[in-house]
This record gives sequence, structure tokens and C-alpha cells, in this order.
Amino acid sequence: MLAYTLRRLWQFVPTLAGVVLLVFFLFNWVGGDPAYLLAGKIPNPETIANIRKQLGVDEPYAVQLWIFVKQVLSGDFGVSWSTNERVSEIFASRLGPSLTVLVPLLAISTLLGMAAAMLVAYVRGSLTDRAVMVACTVGQSISILVYILVFQYLLAYQLGWFPVQGWGVTFIDNLLRYAVLAIIVGVAVSLAPDIRLYRTFFLDEINQDYVRTARAKGLSERRVMWVHVLRNAAIPIVTNVLLQLPGLLAGAFLIERFFGIPGIGREVILAVERSDFPIIKAVTVYVAVATMVINLLADLLYKAIDPRVVLK
Amino acid sequence: MRIAVLLLMLSSLIAQAAWGDSGTKILRVTFQVAETGFDPVRTHDYYSGTILEAIFDTLLTYDYLARPAKLVPNAAAMPEISDGGKTYTFRIRRGIYFTDDAAFKGAKRELTAQDFAYSIRRFYDPKNRSPYAFLFTGKVLGLDELAARAKSGAPFDYDTPVAGLQTPDRYTLVIRLKEPDRNFGYVLAFPVTGAVAREVIEAYGEEAAAHPIGSGPFVLKRYVRSSKIVLAANRGYRGMVWDFEPGDNPRHREIAKRMRGKRLPALDGVEVSIMEETQSRWLAFQRGETDIEYQLWEVAPTFMTDDGKLKPEFVRRGIQLDRTIDPEITYLYFNMQDKIGDAPNPVGGFAKERVALRRAIAMSYNIDDQIRIIRKGQAVRAHYPIPPGVAGHDANYRSSIPYDPRAANALLERYGYKKAADGYRRLPDGSPLVIRYASSQTERDRQFDELFKRGMDAIGIHLEIQKDRFPELLKLEKRCRLMLRHAAWIADWPDGDNFMQLLYGPNIYESNNACYRSAEFDRRYQKSLALADGPERDRLYHEMTRLMETDTVWLLADSRVRNSLQQPYVLGFTKHPVLHAEWLYLDLDPKPAY
Amino acid sequence: MRQAGVWGLAWKRFRRDRLGFTSLIVVLFYAALVLAAAAGWLARDWNTEAGVSFAPPSFLGPEAADSPQLAKAAEGAQPVADYGIPDPLAADLAEIAKSMTGGAAGQSRAPTLPLGGDKWGRDVLKKVVKGTETSLVVGLAAAVLATFLGTVFGALAGFRGGAVDDFFNWLYSVFTAIPYLLLVLAVAAVIGQKGVLTVILILGLTGWTGIFRLVRAEYLKHKVREYVLAADAIGASPARRMFVHILPNVSHVVLVQLSLHVVLFIKSEVILTFLGFGVGVDTVSWGSMLAEAGSELLLGKWWQLTVATVAMALLVTAFSLFTDAMRDALDPRLK
Repeated sequence: MLAYTLRRLWQFVPTLAGVVLLVFFLFNWVGGDPAYLLAGKIPNPETIANIRKQLGVDEPYAVQLWIFVKQVLSGDFGVSWSTNERVSEIFASRLGPSLTVLVPLLAISTLLGMAAAMLVAYVRGSLTDRAVMVACTVGQSISILVYILVFQYLLAYQLGWFPVQGWGVTFIDNLLRYAVLAIIVGVAVSLAPDIRLYRTFFLDEINQDYVRTARAKGLSERRVMWVHVLRNAAIPIVTNVLLQLPGLLAGAFLIERFFGIPGIGREVILAVERSDFPIIKAVTVYVAVATMVINLLADLLYKAIDPRVVLK
Repeated sequence: MRIAVLLLMLSSLIAQAAWGDSGTKILRVTFQVAETGFDPVRTHDYYSGTILEAIFDTLLTYDYLARPAKLVPNAAAMPEISDGGKTYTFRIRRGIYFTDDAAFKGAKRELTAQDFAYSIRRFYDPKNRSPYAFLFTGKVLGLDELAARAKSGAPFDYDTPVAGLQTPDRYTLVIRLKEPDRNFGYVLAFPVTGAVAREVIEAYGEEAAAHPIGSGPFVLKRYVRSSKIVLAANRGYRGMVWDFEPGDNPRHREIAKRMRGKRLPALDGVEVSIMEETQSRWLAFQRGETDIEYQLWEVAPTFMTDDGKLKPEFVRRGIQLDRTIDPEITYLYFNMQDKIGDAPNPVGGFAKERVALRRAIAMSYNIDDQIRIIRKGQAVRAHYPIPPGVAGHDANYRSSIPYDPRAANALLERYGYKKAADGYRRLPDGSPLVIRYASSQTERDRQFDELFKRGMDAIGIHLEIQKDRFPELLKLEKRCRLMLRHAAWIADWPDGDNFMQLLYGPNIYESNNACYRSAEFDRRYQKSLALADGPERDRLYHEMTRLMETDTVWLLADSRVRNSLQQPYVLGFTKHPVLHAEWLYLDLDPKPAY
Repeated sequence: MRQAGVWGLAWKRFRRDRLGFTSLIVVLFYAALVLAAAAGWLARDWNTEAGVSFAPPSFLGPEAADSPQLAKAAEGAQPVADYGIPDPLAADLAEIAKSMTGGAAGQSRAPTLPLGGDKWGRDVLKKVVKGTETSLVVGLAAAVLATFLGTVFGALAGFRGGAVDDFFNWLYSVFTAIPYLLLVLAVAAVIGQKGVLTVILILGLTGWTGIFRLVRAEYLKHKVREYVLAADAIGASPARRMFVHILPNVSHVVLVQLSLHVVLFIKSEVILTFLGFGVGVDTVSWGSMLAEAGSELLLGKWWQLTVATVAMALLVTAFSLFTDAMRDALDPRLK
């Protein structure tokens, strides 16, 4: 186990190096020149040259790359080019709102998904099973854009149950007032795919030998489902949820944008629009590292739970 | 109907919740683009500029009601202009104080002429990379030399006296310019020229943009980046009394009646929320979550009738409408140079057949459809490069370029742009003709793309749409690398020169997007610089506009109408053509007016 | 006695699945629609302004006078003084004006359209048919590209192992580590602007990772099986072993993945177009219709949103159910 862990950690290095190179190369080639954006309405060549000097982009590529590498090692990506805010502070302050929406969203959709999937697995093959599956498929076939537009229009505007958008001061205020609609939309969108996925996990378990054994031993179906199947299926489910987290953090930008939630996803879009390289660098590296770490944890978790699993 | 009643009740409840018992009058507004920071010298975007206006004091400002906009005293009295327009002497008012801050070490800090001198110097410091440096560079004696010395990396010199900025005493500022500049007063009404305190900037360094300390009517109370900006009224503000002359405008008269004599700022605070999506802004306003909303172009048909009035159901709710024309023009420009990069430019140059090509393209673009469908009727056709509300505007001028695709086709045939087998026209010499039109990747630009394509299809020209992100397009544009694009210009100050300079030869690579250089135009422009607004200057401007049309450098399109909606309890609001925010001049009525 | 092969058995099982079979019919119907649209038999003139702006659907009846139809402000007739600046084209234009008689024939615009019109007055029904062609083509082509890349990479990595495997694993880690939006941006910028092809490339070049992982796992499993070892013994080359022997045995996994990715990419196209990286202006897709519909909803014009959503939902549901049925038919143990 230890050797495996160390080997995996060691493999972080080339991956991270690849990410760093790719992002650096892509940004410098296609990322756009922020100097013109920062130069205001009437940029003369002198202003542009000065801005590029202040940002450090007039240095040769090798120097810039070396600076990038140092930043990755120290974890400090400097300041945003458009707002001068420290990048680390940007992430610290945006993480809170993102998580305030994502954690309840994941928790609720996972629990609901599991409950529904288990019920459906329980009555597998029946009409209920089929009906629910078809309903999930239909739900999954509607774009998230449509969900956001329609939910915001109906629930916030027409019915007035929630503020149309915004973010408050206290955590409780945010959680109970502003995040709710975003959470509802997020759950609605993820419920269908979750139910389908978890159903397969549950069915995988139900078809295992130990279930047949348990039934043969005389255990009630309820006990079999709730105690044995659930416990075993919970592992891939939880792993699946954890694995999605880094991607979700950066990817929740549509919801954050429409509902005015000052989270990381929205920050990413802003940075891309403004060609704000320090933020783009930081997001990429953070997400890359988070993804690798979580993948490693997931694999270790599997090994810890199921000794038969062979880690290469 | 029931919804209307429900909303009425809801808004009054919210109104009471907002300020009823606690006595706090907080105005809630939105920005549709996120701000970037509040250091005057570093600011480049409109919305951050709005906050600057509220927090910092400029030397001069604009009269709230006078149209066209008129400069009036602010922190200083109107300047004494001497020496043929090269010397501006400002007398700063006494008794203006910065708000308290730790950087002042407990003392009350008065605003002095030195503060303005320091603030102006900051524009020249290369480290600040100020996007508005162009307002001053090349104009003030002595400062360009200091900037040159700092360019090599030495820290900028803030202490050595310079000839161009003198403070003979605590409250007098003398600015000496290299050349006479008629419009220099306007520069000093720009929000970015507001006075900052040196101690604050030096204490907070790079964080100064999040920690603005000014002497203006509001202070920054709470700030959540890209999300919420909360301002509170500055209790130590020198104050002013509402006292403006309304003129003939009936709405202005109403406002004057309600507001005259009030001590300003009448508000206790302003809460700005950043809302990028129109749906979010519109729904929020309708639900009474915001008080003023004027960024609603896309949904105008829901609340406006065809003839420019508010729809009855909104009138019944007491929603107020303020309808103004923005001092801006939008136009389609052609790259006038012979080459774009290394490739020949099919639309550039002054040869007759090139003029014919540009004219035909201009005649095929349906501006009426732009106004009707893209602007949802909320724009007026721009015939003249100077929009209404700006000195030099001529309401009687009519563009000589009509919308006539049939004539455009005939014109192209005449000049040898024959159609090839694929249905697209070729150049007179037979080589293929491809027009590249640049636009960004927004949904809004997509609509312009569609309209432009219709025009091109009507005259049989092969169109290629060059999509790129906004910063990239900006860069290419400034380097004269784009063939055609839509552009817009909003007045920096209410004088026509601000618009005419867009076609002035020496401004290529800066504000002259079309990269147009015409000796005839430039000659007249130089003459116009020496003239004040009046018939002589108008004559020159008429000729210059005609040159723009006969050379077909631009196709002027429209100026947008600004429909500002306010909740019934908002008092005193009318959209100012130049000022970004009217918060100083507003009040909230605790009892709903309906 | 002729024994039905794997595919024959699968087909038999598939046919018994009523739901799956119905879904296949629906998918085939859409495919026929796409072919008809591509051949130009249907919706060829989707881009013409057939109706008035925002023409309501026929069953709602024409719009009342209170709609965003602007009465044109009566502009004065032609100017005007020339302010002393002569127009080089004056003579030509005068002659042209003289030679043109009568005004242009005004096209009459229909007050309503079967399923309504968009802001330019284009027929939503025709748009959705043409849009189906675009979205389906994008989804299929991108899925084929992604599947091809994922399969080839997965085969090489899984079968060869060693340095080849390390390289592809590294590539996989790098691709999955970069936030999707950035990847899309980069690919979009590199490729330039060619519309549908760009979208296909964006989706295909960024979407191979899931398939790669699965195919690699399959190859790892199969490469130690007896039939492969036997093939090696008789001297089959690695390439032959990979693609002639193993590939048919993993093809059911690949096929299912292809199907899943078609659905995924159709949905991704919507998001991409909304963000501005999608199809160009001369193309209509479900994504472009939904992107426009966003602002139309606020104006009370709901038909484009509804029609595009229903069309997309119907196809995606049918395709997904078909994929499920196919997977069940090919591998009944999973049921």
C-alpha cells in the first residue's frame, strides 16, 4: 500500500508538468492579450508596452515559464491582472459560496438518488421500474440551460418563493435563502443521471453471490437490501460523488452566473473573458492537483475496503 | 391583475423592510458587468468608474439637470483660464475632509491642492499602468520627463516640483499645459481624476483598489468582489443643497419641485449587486428587489409600447420611466488601409471602385431592422457622428447613404463586380472577393452577424465571419488588422470633438478604428480644434461628415434609447448623459406614491 | 444446424424489448428527417423571413397590435445639401436611380406560422428540422471521432503496456485535469472558425477520455486470454491481435460508449453554443435555438424554447432508451 501510494504521488509530477506546459503553451498561443483590455478606450503603443512590462509578459517565454513553475511550487500565483486581488484570496473567498451550494446539492441529490435507485432496484423489471427509468431518461434529455431558465422564471419570478438571484452576508442567510433555488435546479438536473447510475450499482450488488447466500440463510428482503446491498453499493456511489467534486467546482458556472453566486465557476468564466492568466493558471493547477489527489484517495479507499482489488 | 396587486403589496412590504422603521434609505441598483477595483488611476471600466464617482471628489462636476451637460464646480470653483488656454488655476474649497482611516493616524485629514497634484502625478507612474493616462500625457508641463525617467525602472518621483503642477498655497492648484486645450476642464470632471490621499495609497499599496478612501458623498461599507458593493452616506461630507434649474423638460420640472432645497446626499446608502444576466435583472426589478434599472434593452418590449411610452400595467403600478438617448453612436467601419497585414484589403483605399464596394455594402445594411429587431425599437437612427445631447449635434442633418439593396446591386454591376458561377461576386479583375466581418462570441453579436449576413446575401457578396474573443478583437482592431466590424463610442465629455477625433489620421492605432487617413479631413479637423461650439465649427463638421460619407469610411447606425425604470418611491432620478451615477441627487420616499 | 452468432442473438433479444424497439423506430425517424433535410427536401428555406417578427403559432392566432413591431418613423426623403463635398459616385447613383422603376416588391409576411416564428420571422418548424440535422450530425460525428481516438489509444495502451501505456495514461491525466472550459477555449482558438466542423473537433478532441479508460481496461482483461495467446502462438502480429482478434470482442462496449457519447455531445453542443463557441450564423442547431430562446422567454415568446426542447428531449430519450436496450441485448447479465 505504501509503495503504491508513493509511486502514485511520484506520478503526480509528470502529470502536473504536462498540465503546466499545456496551459502555458495554450494561453500564450491562444489566450489573448490582456494588455489591450486593460489599456482602456484610447490605448497608445506606449501604454500597451508599459502594461505588458508591468504584467511581465514581455519577458522571454523561458523566463515566464520558470516563473510559472516557481508559482506552482510555492502555491502563490500572484495577483489578478484585472483587479489586483491576490489570487489565493480570490479562491479563499470564492470557495465558500461554491461549497454552500455544492455540498447540500450533492448531499441531497445523492441521498434522494440512492433512495430512488434502491426502491427501483427492489422492484426491478416491474412497470414501476421501467416507468421511472423512462422518466429519468426524459429528465436527462433536457438541457440544463432550460432548467435554469424555466425554474428561475417560474419559481423565483412567477411564484416569488425565492429571490431571483444574489448572495447575502451570513452563512445561514445564504444557505436558507439564496442558495436554495440553485440547489433545487442542481438537484433536478443531477437526479435523473444519478438514479440511473446508482441503479446499476445496486443491481451489480444484488446479483452478487453473497446476496443469494443471505437470502438462502433466510434473511428478509428488507434486511438484505438495507443492510448488505446498501453498504456495499455505498462505496462506488460515494467515490463517484467525490470524483465529481473538483470538476463541479469549476464547472458550476452556468448556475452561478444566472443566480449571481460569487463562486469559483463564475470566477473562471470572468477570468477567461478578461484573459486574466494568473487566475486561469491557478484554477488549472488547483483542479489538476485536486483531481489527482481525489483519484488516489478513491483508489486507496477501494483497496482498503476490498482486499481483492489489485492496485497496479 | 392579481399578480399586480400581489406585487404592489410585496413591494410596499419590501419598501418598509428596507427603510421603514429603521429610518435607513438604501437604494438598491445593479451593475451588469463585474467591477474590477476602486483605485482611480487603475480603473478602466465604466462600472468601477461609477463607484469612483460616488467615493472621490473631482475638481469639477456636471450640473445635474442642464442639457447639454454643463460643467460646474465641485471640490474647486470654476477654473481661471489664462495664458491663451494654457494655464488653469483652481481654488479648492476649504473644509472638505477625507473620511477617517488608520492611515491618517487619528487626525482629521483635510483635502488640499496637493492631493489633486499627487493624484494627477499618479497617472504618469508606469507602475500604475493607467488606462486613462492619455487624458494627461503629453499635455502637462514637466510630467512626461518624469515618466520617461521612471520607465527605466527607477521609482517614480512624486516629490520634485514640476512646472506643470504647482500648489502656491494649500488651496490653490495651477496646471500648466504645453498646448492650449479647450476641453481640459472636462478632463477634470472624469471620475478617475478624483483626489486620493497619499498616505492611504502608500499604506495599502497594491490593496488600495479594495480600500478606497475619498472625500465624496459615499464611503465603501462592505465589498464582496464581483458580487456586492455596499456604500454608506458619508456623514462627514461637506454637503450640498439640491438647487438645479429644470428648463423646459416636464419631468425635470417635476423633479425640481420634489427635490428643491433638500440636503444631499439624501440617501443613507447604496447597495449594488452585480447581475450579469438580463433575466435576473428584470425579474429582480419586477419583484421589487431593486429600485432603479436601466440596463434592460433586451426586454424593452415587455414594458414599452411602440410609441415610446410605458405600458399601462406598469403605469398603474407607479413605475416611473425616464427616457433619454445615450450620447453614443454605433457604426459599421471599413478598414481604409490598402493592406491588412500582408494581404491586400479589398475594401480599403480611395480608388473609385473601392468606394463603390464600400458604398454598396453600406447600402445593403438594413438599419431599420437593426433598430426594430435587435434594439427592439429602442434606438434612433444616427445620421450625424455627434449624438443628441452633445455640443455640436445637428438634428437636421440627414445621411446621404440610403438603404437600397437594388441600387447597391446595380452599382456593383457597374463597377465590374460580376457574379461568378457560385453566385458570389468577384473583384473587377476576376479574383475572388471575400469580406471578413469580425465579431465576438456573444449572443448579442450573433444577432448583428445575422443582420449583416442578410445584407451581404442580398448583394451577392461572400461573407466570412471572424469570431474571436473580445480582448483578441481589441488587439487586432488597434493594429488595423480587422476588415469590418461594428463599433460604438460613448461620449467621454459632452463635446463633439470627442467624436470627430475618431476619424482623425494621427489617431490611427488608438481610437481611429477605421485606420482612416484623409488629408482633407485632417485639415478641417485641425482647424476645428481652435473653434468653440458654434456655426463656424458646425460648418467644418458638416464637411467632415460628408467626407466620411463620400469616402464611405463608416456607416452610422444608431444611438440607443435608455429607458430607466424606477420604483414609485424613488425620487429625483433622471439619467445624466455623462455622470455615471446619480445617487448623490436622489431620495427615497418612505410613503409609496401610488 | 446454423447457430446464430453473438449479433444474431443480440438482435433477437433486442426485438423482444418493446420499449427499446420503439425507441429505435423513433431514432430511425429522426435519421430519415436528417437525411431529408441534408438532401434539401425539407426545410431548405429555413433562413427566409417567412413571417412577421415573433409570429405566434397558428393555433394561438395572430399577435395583437401591441407587439414589438415598430411603426417605422417616417424619415424625411433623401438629403440634402452636399456641404460642398462632391460624391465621386454621384453620377452613377443618379443614373441607377433613374433606371430603376417602381419600388421593390414588398414581401408579404405571414402573421402566424405553424409553430411560430423567431425574432427575424423565420419559421420555427423549419428551423427545428434543420437544427435536428445539425445537432445530430454534430453529435454523431463528434462521437465517432471521440470513440475512434479513445479506442485506438485504449487499445494501444492496454495491449502494449509499458512506456506506451505510461504515455497514454499521462495524456489522459493531463486532459482530465484541465478544467473543461479552458480545454474547449484552447481547442476553439486553435482551430479557428469553421462552424460545425469546429464544434465537432472541439467535442471529439476533448471527449475521448472516458472511452479510453474503458477500452484500456477491456484490453488489459483480454490480452491475457487464451484466444489471444493462441493467436500469438500462430504468429499474428500485434496489430492483428489488437484489431482483428480482440476488437470484435470489445465492440459491444465500444458501441455502447459511442451511443452514450452521441447523447452527451448533443447536450454539450447546447452549452457550447450558449457560451459562444458553437455553430456559426448560417447554421441552425438546437443549441442556437435554445440560446436565442433565453431572452425570448422574458418577452413572453415561449414557442422556440418549447419546440427545441421537445425535439431534443424526444430524440435524446429515444436514443438513450435504445442504447439501454442495445446494452441489455448485447450483455444480458447486466439486466
